Amino acid sequence: MQHEAVTILGGAALPVGKLQGVSEVGTQQLEHEVLARLVVDALHDAGLDKTDVGSMVFTLPRPYTQQKYFATFMANYLRLPCDGLVMEVMGNGMTPALALQAAVDQVRLGRTKVALALGVNFETGTPAPEHMMSSMRATGDVDFHAPFGFTPISWYAMDAMRYIHEFGSSREDLASIAVKNRHHAIENPIAQFRKPMTLDDVLAQRPIVDPLGLFEVPGRGDGAVCLVIAREDIAKSTGRPYTRFRGEGFFHEGAHQISEVPNDMIAFEAARIAGARAFKAAGINPDDIDLAEIYAPCTIVEVLVSEALGFCPRGQGAKQATEGETAIGGRIPICTSGGLLSRGHPAYVTALYSYFELLEQLRGRGGPRQVKNAELGLACTELGNYNAAMVHIMEAVA
Amino acid sequence: MTLDLIDLEQERAYPPRQSDFTKPFWDNLTRGIFTTTRCDSCNRPSFPPKPICPHCWTDQVSWIELEGAGTLYSKTTVHAGPAAFVRDLPYSVGIIDLDEGLRIAARIIGDVNIGDRVELVVLSYIDGPLYAAKRYTVRLTSSA
Ligand SMILES: [Zn+2]
Repeated sequence: MQHEAVTILGGAALPVGKLQGVSEVGTQQLEHEVLARLVVDALHDAGLDKTDVGSMVFTLPRPYTQQKYFATFMANYLRLPCDGLVMEVMGNGMTPALALQAAVDQVRLGRTKVALALGVNFETGTPAPEHMMSSMRATGDVDFHAPFGFTPISWYAMDAMRYIHEFGSSREDLASIAVKNRHHAIENPIAQFRKPMTLDDVLAQRPIVDPLGLFEVPGRGDGAVCLVIAREDIAKSTGRPYTRFRGEGFFHEGAHQISEVPNDMIAFEAARIAGARAFKAAGINPDDIDLAEIYAPCTIVEVLVSEALGFCPRGQGAKQATEGETAIGGRIPICTSGGLLSRGHPAYVTALYSYFELLEQLRGRGGPRQVKNAELGLACTELGNYNAAMVHIMEAVA
Repeated sequence: MTLDLIDLEQERAYPPRQSDFTKPFWDNLTRGIFTTTRCDSCNRPSFPPKPICPHCWTDQVSWIELEGAGTLYSKTTVHAGPAAFVRDLPYSVGIIDLDEGLRIAARIIGDVNIGDRVELVVLSYIDGPLYAAKRYTVRLTSSA
């Protein structure tokens, strides 16, 4: 790399849960208070001071957050003058990855040596049917998809139906992903769903979008994360372990949910290309990765991404998951945090939790879910039906 | 071919908007004719109809009529839906590859499986049309 390397030096994350709503005594948790505390915690974790920070890139809060223009409100709340950008970014499920990338780029551009990638997603005060009236407008054409009642996860359900049709897979094989990720989440103190769960438990749930039942689609949650992005010389000067950006890749296929030119929808071309670019930039192969945090709102999505990134052969992702190859202790542990299904899915900050998990694992802080000798971690995020993907490869520096 | 019309005694749950440009599509659909635009320059059809060809970005496009026949690429049944669609639950939606080389998404009605031949039908609601796909029916004569 020609420029000075960039690192994630520290972070703090709120346990995912249902936090929005008014208590019996009329109080409520407010987004800016929650996030301000995480900023302080994250800087403490990084071993830096307030005066080191020169840029803040926020994920856009949900429309249910009353405080508008949240980024500049927070600049005031924290009384933080910045030479680098202070802004909010939005890109649906990719929102948090874009915030992280923008913060990294601020450091690379030399606008600051330390930037924060942070955000808060509060949404559970709004019931799911109402929330879907908004989210269906993001995951489809308002005039040519929404009128039929496509929901965000209905597209993933159609991926699942197609996968079963093409590769002779089964709902049971796909559902094993949910069981595996729950097993991971049991050992993650910030995961939303930590109760032990069997395959029978998953299969017994009511249907949501065929062939997926309640435990094969994401629950709703609130969350907040702050990550400290620093130039490597700053990271080194702290004497603390950190993670270095080793490679990254992005691709948007120029389609929204479906391509009007028929293609292989479940090849997840954007993930394949973004992954290949990241591996090339890092000078490594998929085999070299020790763990991967994949943005997968439904079981099928984790399968398809594991294939697109080259962790599993085409059509074998679900089968290999049932054989334990993607579990902690397996060949390539995927979603050691519990993933979107069990760690939780506060959508506009979800991927920040993915990077936080890589940070913890690559610093050896995974506790009972620690991947042994974890040196290289991968995060993959998306928007739409994986119409765009962003891949980051991080390496441990002790 | 002219699409079958199915009368429904209710309004559309989430009506599509119309522009001056897309109005002919909805007007034609009301009469059972499924149309879209095709580029005069590169000759490729597009869906939804667009005043700019998405492939070569020219604004020279013409309306064409599609047969309304294709193959079901995938489908699902929705059991938990947005508020406006709760009245329809459960309902099926799917992805259809039309014979003219266009992939579209629509409601699915009746029993039909991935890979099956399907045809489009018009759902004639009180306030306007939508379209859906159902199992293809062989016709003795064709008006197309
Ligand atoms: Zn053209």
